[in-house]
Amino acid sequence: MRESIIMKIHYGTALASIGLVAVHILMRLTQDYAESLEYANVIRNYYFLPYAGMLEIILILLSIHGFIGLRVILLELKQGRIYEKVISYSCFIAMIGLITYGTRTIIMVNMG
Amino acid sequence: MTNNSENKKGIGGMIDPRRYGIERIAYLLMRLSGLGLLVYFIAHIYETSKILQGQFGWNEMIASTQTTHGHIILAIIIGMCVFHTVNGIRVMLGHGGVGVGTPTRPDYPYSPASQNIKHKIGIYSAIILAAIAMMYGLAVMFGELK
Repeated sequence: MRESIIMKIHYGTALASIGLVAVHILMRLTQDYAESLEYANVIRNYYFLPYAGMLEIILILLSIHGFIGLRVILLELKQGRIYEKVISYSCFIAMIGLITYGTRTIIMVNMG
Repeated sequence: MTNNSENKKGIGGMIDPRRYGIERIAYLLMRLSGLGLLVYFIAHIYETSKILQGQFGWNEMIASTQTTHGHIILAIIIGMCVFHTVNGIRVMLGHGGVGVGTPTRPDYPYSPASQNIKHKIGIYSAIILAAIAMMYGLAVMFGELK
């Protein structure tokens, strides 16, 4: 994939996640902070399908953004054909792993 | 072919913020905050998965984070998040050609048009907003604000 496309994805995921993460944080402030973290409240959040969907979108956006960012930092440090391939594939695999693990939590809690 | 391996300073070169002004410090902070946020994000995904262990597992995890140390770490995360967001928007605008000046003939003393007051204000704004958000976060977490 061309670097310009990767950077467009990097910036696009950043802009998209700003608004969604703001909603996610504001949900903690709709009531008392400690109260909002109580088990029953958090479970209720996961059962509410639009919110669970939003968590899944945030998970995907931030995983993509985070691991592209990590890739950029690592490629700034060192260059080379094999090194760049190893970093790119490692970041991609880690990203898929994190999305899978987070999705598993969202689905399992949402399904009860 | 000339050997330029001596120009590769590695991590030492990347984390040295001296000599190039606030823009270089912003570059360093952007990378540090990015790495910090990625580590937090992974930890957050892991800690929220504790909800699958039921109420006991969740309460145990929450209790381990609701400490003075936990609040301070979270305040630093808030600061990194705000700085990374505001400075990231500045960087994106700069890459899009916004606020970087127009091309002119290079005349002495060769002040670079792209490193202008607009972007410096952007960097300082990011730092100030991050500090305000950290203070607000600490006030909420320590129960000063509801």
